[in-house]
Amino acid sequence: MVVVYPMTEMDEQSGPPITLIDPIDMSKLDTKFREQIKSMPNGEELSACFACSTCTAACPIANIWQYKPHQLIRMIILGMKEEVLSSNEIWLCLTCFQCQERCPQKVRVTDIFFDCKNLAAEEGKVPPNIIGLGKELLEKGQLYTVTADWEREDLGLEPAVPGLSVDSMKNTLKKTRTNKLVEGGE
Amino acid sequence: MSKVPVFNLYMGCSVPANYPNYEAAMLKVAETYDIQLEYMEGVGCCGSPNLRAIDYLGWLTINARTLAIAEKNGHDIVTPCNGCFGSLKDVYHFLKHDANYRKQVNDILKKDGLEFKGTITPRHFVEALYTDIGIEEIGKKITKPLDGVGIAIHYGCHLLRPIDVTEFKPEFLNDLIQATGASVVEYPLWKQCCGATVLPVDENLAIRLARDKLKSMKESGAEFIAVVCPACGNQLDLQQLGLKESYGEEFNLPVLLYPQILGLALGMTEEEVGLNMNRVPADSILNHLTG
Repeated sequence: MVVVYPMTEMDEQSGPPITLIDPIDMSKLDTKFREQIKSMPNGEELSACFACSTCTAACPIANIWQYKPHQLIRMIILGMKEEVLSSNEIWLCLTCFQCQERCPQKVRVTDIFFDCKNLAAEEGKVPPNIIGLGKELLEKGQLYTVTADWEREDLGLEPAVPGLSVDSMKNTLKKTRTNKLVEGGE
Repeated sequence: MSKVPVFNLYMGCSVPANYPNYEAAMLKVAETYDIQLEYMEGVGCCGSPNLRAIDYLGWLTINARTLAIAEKNGHDIVTPCNGCFGSLKDVYHFLKHDANYRKQVNDILKKDGLEFKGTITPRHFVEALYTDIGIEEIGKKITKPLDGVGIAIHYGCHLLRPIDVTEFKPEFLNDLIQATGASVVEYPLWKQCCGATVLPVDENLAIRLARDKLKSMKESGAEFIAVVCPACGNQLDLQQLGLKESYGEEFNLPVLLYPQILGLALGMTEEEVGLNMNRVPADSILNHLTG
């Protein structure tokens, strides 16, 4: 069987990648950005990237990204902090880890995008729906709540989830960034 | 005769709320093989990759807390959800290797008298079945084997990757499906994401990803789909109804949770595995039971 991995067919295409057209303004680069990412969880291997773009070939939705995965990694190395942290792409990442799995240099690409999202969150740059999920966790202590308890009972299960403690989640997130984000969004 | 395997059962929030049929079928399968599953006390939800994206420390802490509670009784955790599995396994792996974060997290947990030490392992329910019971023993109890019907497996990203974290091989699930008498249908997009994670940010994109998968499975001759995750199940099952409406496309591919398939092959009734809760009508699987 011939194995083909087509990218997701979408109606809109993103056009040519932006970084290949616009010149980079050297004075706007943040040369510390690279070290910052490298100090974050699973960011150590960042500098090993040799821009082969295997990550982009592995990404099922790179065709709709204006900045491709390998370009985002290159942009981090160059210090284009503002562009990376404001990009929509880091939030569209499926977290499917296909880029990370295939990287020949063992750069933990998906993990690094998580680091970028955390830095963006520190600056308050989070899509409203994701803030909404944070609010849900902060207020309800879980993402999904049992509404149809009769369905559980019909199957011989306890109507409520046994052992669930919503307070542990609430108390933890009250002291961490989620609380700041949710409050800032209101 | 080895002793009965005992596990901390971590349900998370999605399975109990949206897929009680998964929960019920899993418990009955566990009972059949003398696996003791004990609901964990005092645990919250895993937070999902969304929490990991906005609040790394919060995500580490709540998952380390779950792991620390399990460490108290010394049994491994099993969970039926890829999202919970991915979170717990990633946090376990990360905190084992990062002393700084481990200290930071443990300073928070100390107030509850808890400490993450990394002495138990979080595992997916199907991996525990595969490793601790084994394909041979699983096969011995099957009374109504399937007739070789073609099932496409959607493993789910957070079950398979990153492999150095999840340590799960796709063959585990292939063997588990084949143990029921069904055939595994290979399809080109087997590794691809179902789109669930991107739902809150771009619903249209999420639907297109699900559609790609369904097309790939259908074109490869699958008659059913097997999943081991509520989020993936939702994407592939529920979205088929949406695709019918928005694209006029009908795939008619029933989506079953793995314990439902195994449960039926073990002689359980369709009521016991909650078959009526599957969105795309799945009762045609009953026609493929033999014995």
